[in-house]
Amino acid sequence: MTLEEQIKEAIFNWDEDKLKELCTQAIENEEMSPIDMVNIIGDVMAILGEKFEKEELMLPELIVAANVVKSTIDEIIDPAIKEMGGERTSKGKVVIGTVEGDVHSIGKDLVASFLFSSGYEVFNVGVDVPAAKFIEKAEEVQADVIGLSSLVTLSMDFQRQVIEELKKQGLRDKYKVIVGGAPTSEDWAKKIDADAWGDDSLDAVTKINQLLSK
Amino acid sequence: MRMNQIKVFSQDELEEIHSATLKLLSNVGIKIDCKKTQKLLEDHGCEVDNETDFVRMPESLVMEMVKKVPKSFTLNGPDGSFSFEVNTKTTQFATIGTPVKIYDPSKKKGVRKTVLNDTINQIRLVDTLEHINCSHVDVWPNDVKYTALHGHAMYQWVKNTRKPYGLGCYGGLPSQDMMNMASIACGGDEELIQNPRLVGFFSTTSPLHFPKIMTNGFEVFAKYKQPTIVAPEALAGSSAPVTLAGLLTQTNAENLGGAVLAQIYNPGARLFYGTVSHITDMKTGNSAMGSIETGLITAGVAQLADFYGYPSRGPGCVSDSKILDLQNGFERLQTLILAAQAGINYITCAGTYEATLVEALELLLIDDDLVGMVKRALEGIKVNEDTIALDVIEKVATSEKKGATFLGEMHTLKNMKKSLYMPNTVDRNRRSTWWKKGGMDIIQRAGKEIEEILRNHKRPDVPEEIESKLQKYLEKIESRTLKYYMEAEGLTSAAAPVPGSDTEGG
Repeated sequence: MTLEEQIKEAIFNWDEDKLKELCTQAIENEEMSPIDMVNIIGDVMAILGEKFEKEELMLPELIVAANVVKSTIDEIIDPAIKEMGGERTSKGKVVIGTVEGDVHSIGKDLVASFLFSSGYEVFNVGVDVPAAKFIEKAEEVQADVIGLSSLVTLSMDFQRQVIEELKKQGLRDKYKVIVGGAPTSEDWAKKIDADAWGDDSLDAVTKINQLLSK
Repeated sequence: MRMNQIKVFSQDELEEIHSATLKLLSNVGIKIDCKKTQKLLEDHGCEVDNETDFVRMPESLVMEMVKKVPKSFTLNGPDGSFSFEVNTKTTQFATIGTPVKIYDPSKKKGVRKTVLNDTINQIRLVDTLEHINCSHVDVWPNDVKYTALHGHAMYQWVKNTRKPYGLGCYGGLPSQDMMNMASIACGGDEELIQNPRLVGFFSTTSPLHFPKIMTNGFEVFAKYKQPTIVAPEALAGSSAPVTLAGLLTQTNAENLGGAVLAQIYNPGARLFYGTVSHITDMKTGNSAMGSIETGLITAGVAQLADFYGYPSRGPGCVSDSKILDLQNGFERLQTLILAAQAGINYITCAGTYEATLVEALELLLIDDDLVGMVKRALEGIKVNEDTIALDVIEKVATSEKKGATFLGEMHTLKNMKKSLYMPNTVDRNRRSTWWKKGGMDIIQRAGKEIEEILRNHKRPDVPEEIESKLQKYLEKIESRTLKYYMEAEGLTSAAAPVPGSDTEGG
């Protein structure tokens, strides 16, 4: 089995230890560049994303695979790239979280997994996140997109507050803002001056792709 | 632990029904038309009333014969590549054969007459199902000669599935045809007897009557040891007492009488203790198969079969509804879950409605899913260190990541398929996603999936030699007249309830 096939198999088997071992050894032995590794992993995640879309894969199978891959990239591949003086290229950086007053995380985590699988660098800031924290993180990582999730009607207005805060700080045009969550809608997104609305996790990825290709 | 079984009788009550049954068999007996069978029974100590044709069976003979019924057997597909075991501990699921109409949403009345192609599609669909493992000439084609129906069904069975099949023991000659055709398909009589292919339906006429045409076929099925369901369809209040204990005593006598016959025909003949009994609707006089009492009767049969120690068969997924509505849905699940929880070993009737007169392949696919759900329910909840999952609870609850869930845990991934049944036909999408996918109801979705399944289904490779032998055999059946059959069965037209007599001479 080639190294590429072994990497794929480790991800398909959700085998974090194996994946880390393979990547560490390959980097040490200079069998494969860490950049190529990222590309292979990206391809595998794209396959898993398609399978999920076709309902051939269950949600935990996708999320665990994303977790396995993320921890390998964070702990093994990224440091190796940095050591070489390079930087991992991604389709873009997305800061994502659930707004203040809301602790629902499943939908938001799913979007994060999909974005990651599609080649984005994702900064998941968690739930019940105040406006200031979204902006702080976006500034820190020089994000391209801010994703705001809300699952309860009461917390929807906090999506507007993040956008208002961006305007106040003169940063509104620096970031694309996408909103989503069960009570939200296209109209709502327009009303609060967001750039896009994601109907579901896959739609969110499509919309972010569109936002960044403009 | 596994879900508790439903019980409708205490041990004392079972004994009471048992002793009443033996009294009924020895004092009244069973009306058996066939003189040859009467003679056989007489030779074994039964008392025959030549005027009424009632055959009284002594207790000792009944119990001796009941003990000879095998406790388990396998059922095999035509080529033997697929098989499953029927026993007194597990539950298998199957369909039923009586529908003469099929669901067709393009028709004004929602149904149309069945044709041979529907029969074929039903066989092929069952071949692909996960839980439903046997079909029983379900869809009766209206476009073939009635007298050759069994031949067409057998031929299509061999050509289209790897799973076993079932047919009614309707006549000695047709039953012999079925054996001969199964024998051609599987490689000989010895193989057929050793590893049975066909389920027989011995339908008694309640109260307490075994018609000649049925015993003629029953004898052939017994001779070849093809597992046969003694299948009383007694209706509480019309063909049986309205009290369910009375109905079950009467059908118990029919079952035990059937066991006596089978074991005298051929010791070791394989049988199911069966029921499709239900009730009479007191408002209309119609039968009510989807009634809650059907489930009670079926549960009683499960206990009686267990009392005598051989596999039971009962109906599930039955409904009296004429359309695919809520009544159809709850009646099919209520009869299924009661039968399964009662521990019936072979549950039939998937895919039918209107008291099994109409078939919907859509329902068949949905029933396969219902069976999956019911199987999951019966498994109950497993308790051990891994399933209590203390470490995972702690890990997620105390995670530094706010809003952490169990979705990304290896424990979820490893256990989800064991812990949760994943339905195939049920919609759990958000409304907007459901709309995006066409906003279809379960029947429409099932219909689409069936198109896909049938497009992808691969028929077994039947050797040319077998196919040509079967074709020749079918031609022979096709050439017979109804009169020929009547003579073969020793019937006069008045005594023979044979529909389709217009095919005579055809």
